[in-house]
Amino acid sequence: MKRFSIGRFSYLAFVTLIFAFVIAPLLVIVWASFFSDRILTFPPSGYTLSWFVRAWDLQDFASGFATSLQVGACATLGSLLLGVPAALAIERFAFPGRETVRQLLLSPMYVPAIVAGAAVYIYFIQIEMMAGVQFAATFHGLVIAHTLVALPWTMRLVCASLVTANAASEEAARSLGANALQTFFLVTLPTIRPGMIAAAMFAFIASFSDLEKSLFLVGPGQTTLPISILNYLEWNLDSTIAAVATVQIAVIGAALLISDRFVNLGKAF
Amino acid sequence: MSVSAVIGGVGSGGEISGATGVVRGRRTTPALVIPALLLVALFMLAPLALIVRYSFDLYDPVKLMLGVFSIDNYARAFADPFYQKVLGVTARIAGLSTVIVLLLAFPAAYCISRTRSEKRRSWLIILTVLPLLLGNAVRSAAWMVVMGTKGVANTVLIALGLTAQPIAILYTPTAVVIALVSVLLPFAIITMQSVLDAIPTNIEEAAMSLGQSPLRAVLSVVLPLSMPGLIAAAAICFALAMNAYATPVLIGGPSIQMMGPVVYEQIAKVQNWPFGSTLACMLMLTTVLLTIVSTRFLSRKYF
Repeated sequence: MKRFSIGRFSYLAFVTLIFAFVIAPLLVIVWASFFSDRILTFPPSGYTLSWFVRAWDLQDFASGFATSLQVGACATLGSLLLGVPAALAIERFAFPGRETVRQLLLSPMYVPAIVAGAAVYIYFIQIEMMAGVQFAATFHGLVIAHTLVALPWTMRLVCASLVTANAASEEAARSLGANALQTFFLVTLPTIRPGMIAAAMFAFIASFSDLEKSLFLVGPGQTTLPISILNYLEWNLDSTIAAVATVQIAVIGAALLISDRFVNLGKAF
Repeated sequence: MSVSAVIGGVGSGGEISGATGVVRGRRTTPALVIPALLLVALFMLAPLALIVRYSFDLYDPVKLMLGVFSIDNYARAFADPFYQKVLGVTARIAGLSTVIVLLLAFPAAYCISRTRSEKRRSWLIILTVLPLLLGNAVRSAAWMVVMGTKGVANTVLIALGLTAQPIAILYTPTAVVIALVSVLLPFAIITMQSVLDAIPTNIEEAAMSLGQSPLRAVLSVVLPLSMPGLIAAAAICFALAMNAYATPVLIGGPSIQMMGPVVYEQIAKVQNWPFGSTLACMLMLTTVLLTIVSTRFLSRKYF
């Protein structure tokens, strides 16, 4: 069937170039993290692992990494606890305004991050002035904002797996006498578990890599990994930053490969 | 405060058992959606409403704002040559990046959606999603390494003898467009790929069996069918580009001002909340309009 032709060859070459362009920056930054030169120069005069040690020693990166990890975990949990029931209601129950609710819950994805960050920042300070409760520059304030960042991802992936999951088996369980709770935990939950794993992963990553919202909300002395990267880059460009990025690439790449075992990522989108 | 209460409310989950049926269950539905809706209403809609109100207020160095209603901020944003330029530069860079992204994303998405081997398909998806998940700061860092004076690009150009002196790539509009394209491309590929997946493969086969070349078959049959995906991708990319923060700050440098950093500066650094809100509202309006237009187009034609 497939025959060699100039058209097919140039199509494949073009597509290869596009994927190369997508991945090239990552390869360059991983490569640069091993350069031994103090000033980033190509080609390098030698290779070393010392930048990884230095990055780990820099307080900002270490504490930013820790904060991002904690906030990401809390936001993931929050978005699952809120998103899974909501997705279930939207996909399985008929109620007035269902599409509006769906759009509303997906909307945090479409509000520009910088605008949302500015708005939440002003809102938090307004609450503090009026009610005396502090949200801005606190951990829980950051978690609330990040739960909003993560929620649409949870909704999207859980809804998608509910649509593909066969509702008939739920009805069968019901007609055989299972109550709603039993049906949910024994039939629905196991079928959408891969979708939930993917949802948790994307919620975590969406929170972990968020820059714009956190920019407004971190307090003095507090930082997340993307912010510490940004701050460092405004004044320096050396292999330390490449080492930090390489660690992040390794962590996220591993997460992707592991979750590919659970959900066929080729079908998750 | 409210969040732990909200989470507690859902966690108890017992509401589901109160349902009389999976399909009916009118009483349980609110219990399932209200917690999530509350979060969105309290921490997204209310804050947005607040900045819309702020955008019509006036700045006061002592009280932050005067509590009046005026459209002076909007008049200033449109009349001041500085902000005119910022808006113009932002729209031009965002527009150009979006066009380039669409041209590159279509063949890539088509390739993913027509790959028969499951394994290769997963790899292509991971390859596309990995950079997406790293965040803009890290990807911009990578482009700084590539485009700096002693970066990869200049080293290659000098080695090839194309230039004797390192040329300034970083801190130019071209650099911002290149970096933005790479930041946005994965979004567009993923969006379009899901639409292309829904188009059956035998459509091209039918077109080809009727005598069209593969390229013509794709352009005249698949492309029109994938329009909703294309428009959705364009809207997402343009909105993200208009609102970009890390890329213009790191790749554009101080000389190329775009809306995102300017909004941050007005609100967090200058503390001029009313004017910052005005700029933020203008950004949001552009994005919301685009989203509405594109979803309208999608739903009218395809659902």
